[in-house]
Amino acid sequence: MAADPVTIAVVSLYFIGMLAIGAWASKKIKNTEDYLVAGRSLGFWVFVLLMIGTVCSGMSLLGVSGLGYKAGWPTIWEQIFVPLSIGFCVIFFGVKLHNVAKTSGYMTVQDYLAHRYESPVALRSLAAVAGIIVSMIYLVGQYTAIAIVLMWLFAIPLWLALIIATLVTMVYTAIGGLYAVAWASLIQSVILIVGVIIMAPIIIFYAGGFTHVNEVMASINPNLVMPWNPSGAFAVPYIFSFAILLMVGLACAPHVINNVLSIRDVKYFKWAPLAAFLIYGAAMFLLKFSGFAGLTMVKEGIFALPAVTNAQDYVILYGIQYSIPTIAFWGIFAVIVLAAVMSTTDRLMLTIGAMVSWDLYKKVLRPDASDKNVLLLSKIVVVLSAISTMILAINPPDMLAILIWMGIGVMLSTFAVPLLAGMYWRGATRQGALAAMSLGLVTALIFGFLNYFKVVFAGVNFATIPLHFSFYSFVIAIIAMIVVSIATKKTTEKILDETQTGWYISK
Amino acid sequence: MFGLPDITLLTVGITIVVVIAALVYWGLTFEGHD
Repeated sequence: MAADPVTIAVVSLYFIGMLAIGAWASKKIKNTEDYLVAGRSLGFWVFVLLMIGTVCSGMSLLGVSGLGYKAGWPTIWEQIFVPLSIGFCVIFFGVKLHNVAKTSGYMTVQDYLAHRYESPVALRSLAAVAGIIVSMIYLVGQYTAIAIVLMWLFAIPLWLALIIATLVTMVYTAIGGLYAVAWASLIQSVILIVGVIIMAPIIIFYAGGFTHVNEVMASINPNLVMPWNPSGAFAVPYIFSFAILLMVGLACAPHVINNVLSIRDVKYFKWAPLAAFLIYGAAMFLLKFSGFAGLTMVKEGIFALPAVTNAQDYVILYGIQYSIPTIAFWGIFAVIVLAAVMSTTDRLMLTIGAMVSWDLYKKVLRPDASDKNVLLLSKIVVVLSAISTMILAINPPDMLAILIWMGIGVMLSTFAVPLLAGMYWRGATRQGALAAMSLGLVTALIFGFLNYFKVVFAGVNFATIPLHFSFYSFVIAIIAMIVVSIATKKTTEKILDETQTGWYISK
Repeated sequence: MFGLPDITLLTVGITIVVVIAALVYWGLTFEGHD
């Protein structure tokens, strides 16, 4: 479709609004703590919507509906376990991290790992480098989603779409830090949730209603309306590994878990898990149903998807174009998609900035660096990460959901075991954490590569392995943690007490 | 119902109810003192 003045105006207004938030937030930035953890001042709703905005990514609109279009109800578990990842993060990581951070002043999750495992250089550096790698993989998926929307909306080439999206997100994140990211997320999440709740039912209505949509899907293939697909990718074992991937992998991702350090009061953790699950879950279910409706409309010849390799990622765009043929709505919908993508992109860029400037530069390379220099470096890294990922996204992957899951899978394999074992097992040691993190990262990258490129190696076809590839590397990380920890010197009791390590959550 | 098999409604429905019950329990029992 070609751009029209109304759409350009609506999207431009949104971009200007985001830049205005960045300008406002930049006035609140006095030091690195303000920039990286918003001065630990976020209230309940800003925190809840920041969490939703961080988790809700490009996959949440284009990928979720695209996957619903392609594989039907067996993928519905995504709509339960992605919203649940916020509760998992708050309950299993957030309470302890927040309580210990009060006295230890953590800025990033790497601060916790360095403290808990008495490894101020080795584990911190490994965690930071691993965090940068997984965040970059994840960012490429986000930029691809932004580019899909802008190309659809304005009929512009990919490179131009990428530059526009990168510039806007980069500027407000670089100047406003987490204040800008949090307040932008508040607005982006409200736009997303309200928009989806209004627009998704319209798409489902135009497809003939919820029951009709399910009946058409069943007529195409009865497995499309089953909770699992025994003959396809979403069999029960795979769904189990999928649930772990989404719930735990997202919860321990650096850009998600760092948010728990920014709240004003731990009492916000009381109802944040339920609020996030209900609000985000409702929107996610509606999105999936929109993908189902799109499949019905394509099956009935109402519209056809473009002849591209990632056609399913366009299903909700075409669905809205057909169901709400009013130009102004397309612009609003484009803003909804951009809001979903940008709310994750900004947080990822800021996280990369924190890992480079705080964990690597300030804590490892130059401990005597001034706060001013650390702050400046954070901003420079935000800009560099945006530009380098944009270049990587110029060749978009075949399917958005696959790339984003790959990023989450690497996060799960790398961070889940050192974090969970660190918080709940007093026997976990520095060497155990180093072994778990490095083996988890390397094996996840290898398995992800073999799976993505459908390699057959040693008689194993990695395209058809029964579990998500990350589950195998996650298990390898667990084994490495247990075996190496048992064989090596224990962490001192003083550190274990300081970090509230043990099989409990302080209520 | 809704053009869906019972097994789909039951498994998805029960999972959602269990998750919400668990999160309500957390909310009721977490005191959260700073």
